[in-house]
Amino acid sequence: MSLLSPPAPATAPLEQPNRRMPRGSTSLIWVLVSLLAVFLAEYLTGAVDLTSTNTVQNGLLRALPILLAGLGGVWAERSGVINIGLEGMMIFGTWGAAWGGYFAGPWIGLLAAAVFGALGGLLHAVATVTFGVNHIVSGVALNLLGQGVTKYLSTLIFQPISNNPRESPLVPKFDTYSSVGIGPWLERLEQKNWFGISDLAGIVHGLITGVSPLTMLCLALVPITYLVLWRSRFGLRLRSCGENPVAAESLGVRVYLHKYVAVIASGALAGIGGATLVLNRGGSGYLEGQTDGRGYIGLAAMIFGNWKPGGLLAGSALFGYTDGLQLTTGPKIVMALVYGVVLLIGAIAVWKLLQRKWLACVIAGACAGLLYWFYWAVDEIPSELLPYTPHFVTLAVLAVSAQRLRMPAADGFIYQRGRGG
Amino acid sequence: MKHRRRLGALGVAALAGTLMLAGCAKDVNGPGSGASSGGGSGTGQGCKLAAQPPAAPAAATSSQEQGKGVDGSKMRVGLAYDIGGRGDASFNDAAYRGLEEARAKLGVKDSREVSAQPNETEDQRQSRLRQLADDGFNPIITVGYSYAESLKAVAKQRPKTQFAIVDDDTIKLPNVHPLVFASEQGSFLIGVAAAYKSKNCHIGFVGGVRTPLIQAFEAGYLQGAKAAAPGIKIEDDYLKPAGDNSGFNDPSTASLKASGQLQKGADVIYHAAGASGKGVFDAVKQAGGGALGIGVDSDQYFQPTVANDKDIIMTSMVKKVDQAVFGYLAAFASNKLGGYPKRFDLSTGAVGYTRSGGKINDITGPLDAYKQQIIDGKIQVKDKP
Repeated sequence: MSLLSPPAPATAPLEQPNRRMPRGSTSLIWVLVSLLAVFLAEYLTGAVDLTSTNTVQNGLLRALPILLAGLGGVWAERSGVINIGLEGMMIFGTWGAAWGGYFAGPWIGLLAAAVFGALGGLLHAVATVTFGVNHIVSGVALNLLGQGVTKYLSTLIFQPISNNPRESPLVPKFDTYSSVGIGPWLERLEQKNWFGISDLAGIVHGLITGVSPLTMLCLALVPITYLVLWRSRFGLRLRSCGENPVAAESLGVRVYLHKYVAVIASGALAGIGGATLVLNRGGSGYLEGQTDGRGYIGLAAMIFGNWKPGGLLAGSALFGYTDGLQLTTGPKIVMALVYGVVLLIGAIAVWKLLQRKWLACVIAGACAGLLYWFYWAVDEIPSELLPYTPHFVTLAVLAVSAQRLRMPAADGFIYQRGRGG
Repeated sequence: MKHRRRLGALGVAALAGTLMLAGCAKDVNGPGSGASSGGGSGTGQGCKLAAQPPAAPAAATSSQEQGKGVDGSKMRVGLAYDIGGRGDASFNDAAYRGLEEARAKLGVKDSREVSAQPNETEDQRQSRLRQLADDGFNPIITVGYSYAESLKAVAKQRPKTQFAIVDDDTIKLPNVHPLVFASEQGSFLIGVAAAYKSKNCHIGFVGGVRTPLIQAFEAGYLQGAKAAAPGIKIEDDYLKPAGDNSGFNDPSTASLKASGQLQKGADVIYHAAGASGKGVFDAVKQAGGGALGIGVDSDQYFQPTVANDKDIIMTSMVKKVDQAVFGYLAAFASNKLGGYPKRFDLSTGAVGYTRSGGKINDITGPLDAYKQQIIDGKIQVKDKP
């Protein structure tokens, strides 16, 4: 094998899933236990805003751009191309959405965002796949290019209309829809303040109230990504390019083509993520610097989710929920969430004790104790730390869940056709 | 078997212990209340207002025509914009309007405008100012406090050139003239107006970044609202802590912050958050129900980028940078810089509120009364919360 051969396939035996339980039930249990902890915290502290309709709605809005950037990451990295340029492609998307939206309405705006993002993706694909540029270098270049090109374009096109080179004129937004059938019924249920039931009603009500077609599309893209990448022949081939492109080539897979498709799709998804910042409620048209690092957070959410759409959804939901919560409710309610985390870690400690994993039990117990002390010692989160609540929570969950992350084996590997040795 | 049973007992005991320990939680809404009422708790009757100060005497119109008969045709004016430059619909544009006026009224012929770039170094900023001075431009006006450091250095090196700086008064040099605005005084009146207009007697403030400059807005607003209605409830939030300037550029975050305040029952929201303010207006508009937003810096009622939300913009707290810049140029041309004010407050008319849209026409009486109290020094407005 030449130097260009991919890293040896992971020889370590893959962790055997627990055969007594069906696949995916572990994640389901995690979700249920976390929900229970939040419900308990809400019940015991009386902080009804933890699961109110408004909180959930806002959390969803905050999660979408991260989710879409992360999906873009899943597509690119599953094909073996590291895409750190998601932020730049997202910026292209915001500009495209504002441009298309202003001149032809939100649907064309969405299309333009996807096309602009895809163009960014195409550029990344040309650099990394055809010319074998280091993926990180090309990605960073794309981020810079995203800022520069949109600045130029908006000076050229938006300034004459809005008198401001940094901002687009007003862009029409997507209409929002609410479920008329069970919406009011859920609302009544939410106001009863029954333990668990009202909380669930609040969450569901938040998810079906004031939803735009763009939001629905974004959420639908998660199962679509799963079906395409994990349940189709095309997806299997695409993922094989990310695991071992040389082997895939030897079996007749057109590696370049699959990588191109994946990276262009990745750009389009990131562009749609940018469009959610422009065309959804609370969006603002194009504004220089509005993505504010969400592309990078999407990348982190993807790693959090182990390069899989389901995990990514959980990661971005967690981040979006805490972000929406701290923004709309304030420091006191966030302390109630801290209490929920204490309950969760306490439950983990007990569980570890039952498994007779003493060290893990002691560590979890100590963490719970420390956090509980913090909860009693401090009345509200200091306002300087409040905006970073989602970052803390994500870190904490990453540390606790301690899952085994495995990236695609040939991710970031510079493959060139016919050089597989 | 026995072993397992003991372990089970241990587990149960641990579980019980943990639950006992962690089972007591603080009540968010104070003792005894199981739940908050969520939405607005106001009665919709408005505030119980404090007695309004005596009505202002018909104010002696202090609008002496500045710069009449002054010849500024020999002046060569340098204007250094902050990041964003012309077209920001905010203070850079306002400074430009001041220059335009000087061209029209004083006959200024020669001027040069330069603009700061994002992420540039201190060195670049300094050399830009030095260049202007060396090319003979005098006076030179710098816009924004980000020039403070560079100007301090350059003004020492070029003592014969006169400089002015907007929004900063930290430089104590004979050839540097600060042009700062008492935004807390204007914000005081905004607070009064908000208290008079709030139906729930519950108002909000959204600041962009927790810096002293923005805290002056906050302090004046809170003081004004409490002066007009002592029992008023106020939501008071910032988007980002000091140092993270993205708070001035993040409408989607601002929109969620504002929607949270509205959810808690606030129905008039004042923003001092630059371009993020658009998000506040959007949230207010979305909430409906007669909720109102208040703009800042310039008259946002006429700003094209928020034209959709025009109908909920109650008023704007304005800083008339153009007026200060023009006045400075006129004073320079007539060689009266020594007497030109360095701080612009309500009495100079360079800070104040707008009436576009006619939403506060019915309360101008009390507003004028409070304004007079501030000008007379009967009310001292704090610039720190």
